[in-house]
Amino acid sequence: MSHKDIAEKVVKEALTLGVDEAEAYLESSREFNLEVRNGDVETVKQSATKGIGLTVYKDNKFGFSYTSDLSSESLREFTKRTIQLAEVADPKSWNGLPDYGQEEKQWDMDLWDPSIFEIENSKKIDTAKKVEKSALAYDKRITKSYGASFSDGESETIIVNSKGISRSCKTTSVGFGVSVIAGEGNNMQSSGWSSTKRHFKDLENIESVAKKAGRRTVEKLGAKPVATTKVPVVVDRYAAGAFWYGLLFAMDGDSVFKKTTFLTDYLGKPVASELITIADNPTIPRHMGSVPFDGEGKITKENTLVANGILKMFIYDSITARKAGVNVNTITQRGGYKSSPFGNFLNVIVKNGNISREKIIEGIVDGFYVTGLRGIGTDIPTGNYSVGASGFWIKNGEIAFPVDGVTLGGNTAEILKNIVLVADDLDMRGNLNSPSFKVSELAVGGK
Amino acid sequence: MVEVSADIPITTKKGGVMKAYFRPIKRREFIKKSMAGGTFLATVPLWKLFSYSLPPPDLTSNLPIDLDKETLDKLLAIALQNGGEFAEVYVEYNVSNSIGLDENKIRAATRGVDMGVGIRVLQGEKTGYAHTDDLSPEKLEETARIAGLIASGNRKEQSISLKERDIPNYYLVKTSPDSIIPQDKAKLLWKANSVAREYDKRINQVGVGFGDINKKIIIANSEGIFVTDHQTISRLSVSASALENGRRSRGYAYKGGTLGYEHYDLQIAEEIAKEAGRVTMAMLPAEDAPAGEYPIVLAKGDCGTFFHEAIGHSLEGDGARKKTTCFWDKKGKTIATKMVSLADDGTVPGARGSINVDDEGTPGQKNILIENGLCTGFLYDNLNAKLMGTQSTGNGRRESYQHYPIPRMTNTYLMAGKDDPEDILRSVKKGIYIAKIGGGNVSPTTGRFVFSVPEGYMIDSGKITTPLKGIQLMGNGPDVLMNITMVAPDLEIWGGGTCGKDGQGKPVSDGNPTLKVAKITIGGAKVQG
Repeated sequence: MSHKDIAEKVVKEALTLGVDEAEAYLESSREFNLEVRNGDVETVKQSATKGIGLTVYKDNKFGFSYTSDLSSESLREFTKRTIQLAEVADPKSWNGLPDYGQEEKQWDMDLWDPSIFEIENSKKIDTAKKVEKSALAYDKRITKSYGASFSDGESETIIVNSKGISRSCKTTSVGFGVSVIAGEGNNMQSSGWSSTKRHFKDLENIESVAKKAGRRTVEKLGAKPVATTKVPVVVDRYAAGAFWYGLLFAMDGDSVFKKTTFLTDYLGKPVASELITIADNPTIPRHMGSVPFDGEGKITKENTLVANGILKMFIYDSITARKAGVNVNTITQRGGYKSSPFGNFLNVIVKNGNISREKIIEGIVDGFYVTGLRGIGTDIPTGNYSVGASGFWIKNGEIAFPVDGVTLGGNTAEILKNIVLVADDLDMRGNLNSPSFKVSELAVGGK
Repeated sequence: MVEVSADIPITTKKGGVMKAYFRPIKRREFIKKSMAGGTFLATVPLWKLFSYSLPPPDLTSNLPIDLDKETLDKLLAIALQNGGEFAEVYVEYNVSNSIGLDENKIRAATRGVDMGVGIRVLQGEKTGYAHTDDLSPEKLEETARIAGLIASGNRKEQSISLKERDIPNYYLVKTSPDSIIPQDKAKLLWKANSVAREYDKRINQVGVGFGDINKKIIIANSEGIFVTDHQTISRLSVSASALENGRRSRGYAYKGGTLGYEHYDLQIAEEIAKEAGRVTMAMLPAEDAPAGEYPIVLAKGDCGTFFHEAIGHSLEGDGARKKTTCFWDKKGKTIATKMVSLADDGTVPGARGSINVDDEGTPGQKNILIENGLCTGFLYDNLNAKLMGTQSTGNGRRESYQHYPIPRMTNTYLMAGKDDPEDILRSVKKGIYIAKIGGGNVSPTTGRFVFSVPEGYMIDSGKITTPLKGIQLMGNGPDVLMNITMVAPDLEIWGGGTCGKDGQGKPVSDGNPTLKVAKITIGGAKVQG
């Protein structure tokens, strides 16, 4: 029996046993990973997993369970137990599957590259060894390898529900990277770089990954805290993701309904400087953050979250939207077969500005260029922002020295409004993509 | 000699909430011991005092994963056919349950089953690992072959004779939570919900959850180890939030550990709910924390995460072997003030990080990592221990059959000192009192960390005053160790969470006595001057 047949059978069986609605989500994946350290293969790992998650609704009561045992007799027992779980839950009028069915057509985003299956093990090992060697050779101050790796994987996702949805999608991914350590004793720093893509051909070249890993590590050497102050701050594009998480989590529809987010009253109002436009767009061909359908089986499309600083939408799944009584585009994610869908962004893109990052830095007399944020920092109920940061001090328009062990503090809403410049350096790497930007003033906590 | 208090798993502190699983020594005994300058070591294996040796009834028999000795023998032989030095089969059957209540409704009860087999082969520093959730003989044999591909060479003649091992018991489990119907668990949730809501009118959101994980693992390796362990972890948690004139605050409290269902009742649910309410209301009037350098006092019991993250990770044996942690060459050297002794102890009865055996079959142990300021050792799994010419410390742990073991902490705590907790507070003119520490992260390379603080206060002239929000503790582990200037005898080990490392989550716990760090950087929104 194919995986899709299994999913369809489980849904059918649940309906036969008397539930009103049912959904099966089946995921199977294979991953390969190898790690090299000091020129030798250290680990080779192959994993094969699969499992099914079943959601049932009976008299508006919700039940969910999952299992990795897909044998027929176990699945029958599994379906029965799931229905029993629904018995204990309280009925909620908003419970149930999404209102739509299979109306929209799925399209091919080119997320599957069969050529990754032809990569010989020797080539994978070679790539990891080469990137490690080049990264170690980048600078004399690089003293140790933290390891280099190569990985590839494939996965299949199937979603079937009693409203007629029956979709499947296959994706591949392939990547490699390296981490190194620079310095000695009390002055050690580590960093690295990697490239991961859907298609083998799209990967960065080995030299470029090695160089970035080396440079990012060496430039941190000698980092020190600065005295507590308030200065203009530039947040680098690769550090910016951690900052945007705070805003995106605060846009959670259920938190809005419960009034537990500082954004509760912001819909349709300015939430950020008008330079800021943010979209969720998981439809970019071959991109790591792309998916043809979301966690509830709905065909994905581009949604504008913030337009010129105005908050355009909150993020709901079907259930939280129904509960809040709003009629909106849902955007849902799924944490694999072990969880239910929940409202969450899929692939966020903050729109580019039209000034270079270098120009932004040139225009600052005394400031902080942040290249690392330790955590998200936003307290969702209050918007208070406080986070550990590292980067470089800017003096008279130039990078002066590396900084570590400081905090940034303020309020997320205020910081968003104080974004005065957005750079043009967007680089699409994952599912949260942002250009660098400048905040006019921020509290830097240090010595 | 060690005295064990009679009221074994439960002692109470402010608000009556259960705080410790047990007290290894009475307070006076603590003081005496530490005055003598020594660390305490149990002379009676503590598990004997708490021995509930029967495994939970649900996971005992007729599971699809109950591979027999013959099958295990055969898989080990196949895994070694390319000349690997060591092979191991790890079998797991895992049932997890959760039930949650929010907005005055039981949201859902869920159940999950994970099962599978992971096979590992070692040769020198090399690891081959493959796993499968398909338990057919063909798939198992194929998995063993793939794991064996890492080795190159000829098969060495080794005869494996698997011998079933007896293991101690540190879990406090009489009744498996998996055997309790969700309707019964729901009663605890309803009780906690109403108590938290009644605590204060300004509390407008309450969430309550009960979760349990029930695992059976079987470990067999080419050195003849053959053990079975039944592991249970449970937790009852309450979160609350309050709203008043646009100000919001949150509070969280829980009880959990390697505990059976007999450790939960309506009374416990009430105590946890009250504690969540207390924190929520205490933090409602909180003001922005100041930024800058301050002395801090850490409250007993609730701040052990700090030592886990900021120090413990830098004392894990993989980092020591690879020389990637700041302490790799510090064994036998002073890395902390004389007040500091740090233990990682997998044998604390009922604690969340306790293990009868680690995930390689080595019994759980108590390991002293820092003794009176001297670095005394690292935490090892088999692989890293062997490569470093030492023995596993019982810290080879893995999230599931999908992962190979790596050195991990269990229950990590700063050991008791001798300073009076009141004196510690009084010694601070202007500083910060950390009542509870929240999530944090650390770079093991530099030891640099940052932590959030869900409950913290100003200290003015030795007194706890204004509640503070947005406190971030930052600095690096080595510096903090040299700045710990006072430690009280009031050690409490409890709570804990799930620690993430190399993509693997693992339950851990931690603890600490009241202590003072002479200076640390506070990141907050309020810039002084």
